[in-house]
Amino acid sequence: MNFRQFAFNNVFRNKRTYVAHFLSSAFSVMIFFTYALLAFHPDLRGAIVSNSTMLTMLGTMGMNISQAIVFVFSFLFLLYSVSAFIKLRKKEFGILLLLGMSRKQLNRMLFIENVVIGAAAMITGILVGVVFSKLILLICATLLAVEHGLPFYLPGKAILLTAVAYLALFIIVAAFTSFMTKKGTLAELIKSEDKPKPEPKASVLLSLLSVLLILLGYAAVLIFVIWRILSFALLFGGVLLVIIGTYFLFTQLSVYVIRALKKRPHIFFNRTNLLTISELVYRMKDNAVMFFMVSIISATAFTGIGTSLAIGDPGLAAMKNPYAFSYISFNESDLKNNSEQKHIRLIEETLRREGFAYQMASYTPTYTQDGFALVKLSEYNRLASALGYDLEMLQNGETLASPSTISQNSKYKLEGVGADTVRMVNFEGNWEMTMHIKKALQHIVIPEAYKIYIVTDSDYDTFNAGNLMNVNYVEFVVPKWHDTRAITRELTAAIYNGDTNSMQYIPFQFSALVTQWVESRQTNGILLIVSGLVGIVFFTFAASFIYFRLYADLSRDEEQYRMISKVGLSRKELAKTVTRQLGLMFFLPLLVAFVHSSVAFIALQQLVDFSVISHTLAIFSSFLVVQIIYFFVTRWRYLNHLYQKVM
Amino acid sequence: MEILSVRNLGKIYKGMVSYEALSNLDLSINQGEFVGIMGPSGSGKTTLLNMISTIDKPTSGEIRIDGEDPYQLSQDKLALFRRRELGFVFQSFNLLNTLTVKENIVLPLTLDGVGIKEMNSRVDVLADKLGITSILDKRTYEISGGQAQRTAIARSLIHQPKLVLADEPTGNLDSKSARDVMEILEERNREDQATMMLVTHDPVAASYCSRVIFIKDGQLYNEIYYGDNRAAFYQKIINVLSLLGGNGHEFPSVRI
Repeated sequence: MNFRQFAFNNVFRNKRTYVAHFLSSAFSVMIFFTYALLAFHPDLRGAIVSNSTMLTMLGTMGMNISQAIVFVFSFLFLLYSVSAFIKLRKKEFGILLLLGMSRKQLNRMLFIENVVIGAAAMITGILVGVVFSKLILLICATLLAVEHGLPFYLPGKAILLTAVAYLALFIIVAAFTSFMTKKGTLAELIKSEDKPKPEPKASVLLSLLSVLLILLGYAAVLIFVIWRILSFALLFGGVLLVIIGTYFLFTQLSVYVIRALKKRPHIFFNRTNLLTISELVYRMKDNAVMFFMVSIISATAFTGIGTSLAIGDPGLAAMKNPYAFSYISFNESDLKNNSEQKHIRLIEETLRREGFAYQMASYTPTYTQDGFALVKLSEYNRLASALGYDLEMLQNGETLASPSTISQNSKYKLEGVGADTVRMVNFEGNWEMTMHIKKALQHIVIPEAYKIYIVTDSDYDTFNAGNLMNVNYVEFVVPKWHDTRAITRELTAAIYNGDTNSMQYIPFQFSALVTQWVESRQTNGILLIVSGLVGIVFFTFAASFIYFRLYADLSRDEEQYRMISKVGLSRKELAKTVTRQLGLMFFLPLLVAFVHSSVAFIALQQLVDFSVISHTLAIFSSFLVVQIIYFFVTRWRYLNHLYQKVM
Repeated sequence: MEILSVRNLGKIYKGMVSYEALSNLDLSINQGEFVGIMGPSGSGKTTLLNMISTIDKPTSGEIRIDGEDPYQLSQDKLALFRRRELGFVFQSFNLLNTLTVKENIVLPLTLDGVGIKEMNSRVDVLADKLGITSILDKRTYEISGGQAQRTAIARSLIHQPKLVLADEPTGNLDSKSARDVMEILEERNREDQATMMLVTHDPVAASYCSRVIFIKDGQLYNEIYYGDNRAAFYQKIINVLSLLGGNGHEFPSVRI
């Protein structure tokens, strides 16, 4: 056996330890690479397109922030795995050094190992990453029926970035390894069989600080959305504060809770509690770090998915245009739309036949020279009652500003209308009037791209006198509008007689919300894919954290439980202890992640008019279900393994 | 010829309460001797052994092994020194689980870059003497404690070191295996003139030595030599131990 053979045997006969380290390294590379691939994707360079500017900003910022989080955490993940790996091998290093291995030889051995593992992990990670992302892109494109999905490309830049970043990282790791063996005397190395890391120090100040940091972080994010201060630094700072706060929360709080439990003898010495609690103490630091990482990663996943769902939400399309169907009929003195009644009847009959509840209202705006559109109060009130909004009252000479777009609406809400009065000149230019603006309305009721003012019926008549062009808007409110795809197709065909591309002038126009929604979903499809991918990637990340942790500790646990079972631990008690420990591992970080992302969703709620609660609940419950399944599968496998080995 | 010389050795463990583990200890071991170190728990036996093993630095005094002070050597030279001049046997064997018995034995030669042929011939000779030829290709988890300790002894002898250091080599073994191990050590000492130093609690194990040194509270307490039969030597060891405050009174004071 020469030195090379020795190093080789050392790796290949110790597969378990090395495989765990290799897999987690490869996994970390894969995550990093997948994300780099998205970041460098030619179709994603620049801003993400959404029909709301605010959400577009948020989407772009979210991408940047989650990118930073992926970068940092995949590095942390690797370091975590390395330190666990070295801890397992400390004694081996001690024996080798005692037998007369020189530092040079040890460093050479570690270097070779790290290079081999690193290179293999890099290649595996990138290959799996390519296949994985291709697969996900394919599935998403099919499921969402996205016509212009993300085309697959061979990502030179992403490969280069990943290779360089991880090359640097593996060199750092190699240096770190030899540094870790350098400190401490040989005697300590040999005896370091399984010495736990020291308990983190608990300080009241830091515990308070952790809560304070989290609250400050929440505040920063809420300020960002409520006052619409669109600064990346604010959002990023908020997220950073929450991350730091969470770290202290786990490292400080866990110490406090466990110490408090230990101090109560009737709890501590109560049956298997002794085992559970002492096991927690033993790995307090490891646990704290793991809980912290898993909860941050999960929170990022939830928020990412939630935001993307909101962007693709039907409510977003409805925010702009609240009407399921709009029928616009143009009536001039010489050219009347003769089929108006026929078409309206057709729409109503079709809706009734298909069992859709609906309400119908119409309005006929008149225009001023300044480009304002004026709508009768009585017509407005009919529309508002169809939509379920409050009715308004006006006196002659008074007017209401009605927002027509999302950005106008948010501007009105934030800054008000800007002036108390508005001067209006009628279309012919022979009549003018200064009107008092009573207030700005809260909802988009008339979705036309004008400045819309609601005036009393008599004021309307004064302005409208002599106007020959009469455009009648007939609006249909259908609560279940997103199921109207089929009848939209039918109606469009019937109204246009199958001739939608005619060059001939037609005195009417028919449009459906569901068509707009489908179109916007297609443009948002890419964003949806990306965020879904981010969510999946992050969640897998968090889940594998727990998995690798268990995998690395399995042999120690086996030993531990074998010892305890000799003293007399029944299967039931073993199962109980294991269940509790696993339960804590699986669900405590999830709980914190839920709290964090709830705040994120509250922030998101400020940006949109529709409720995001249903999405939030859907995300939380589906992740909870997945986690519960994962928990039971792991528990079952873990217990089976222990039963086989121990009893 | 003097192989090991220890002069005025002192060790203080610094901490919240500093603790003097050894003070002004002198010791000398000649070529071909088999020396046992005994003493109650906390007397400083293991500290002494660790310092001679070059894994724990003394606070004061000097250690010379074959005329060389290992603590004056550079790190690389120290590694070479350990590799070539010292052999170790531990209570917990400290074999590498990733290697077979044979690979464990040749590890010091491997580190030194000795040729394969030379390795094989040395292993064959030594394994025959230690009675482990049949298990050479087994992994460490497939062999018994006694076999593991014999493997560890083979590892400590393969490079024909100047000094073999053993820390409670029988501590983890049953009495039959313990006797086998001690007989092997004694035989190697007698036949190959290997110089050995052994730290132990066990009077039976100590009775295989040619000289036993007793330490109490970090200082030399007594020293006795092997006479002409083991039973008498054993009895003398027991007597000293009972004086030292061990459980010697449990044994009859006169046996012959």
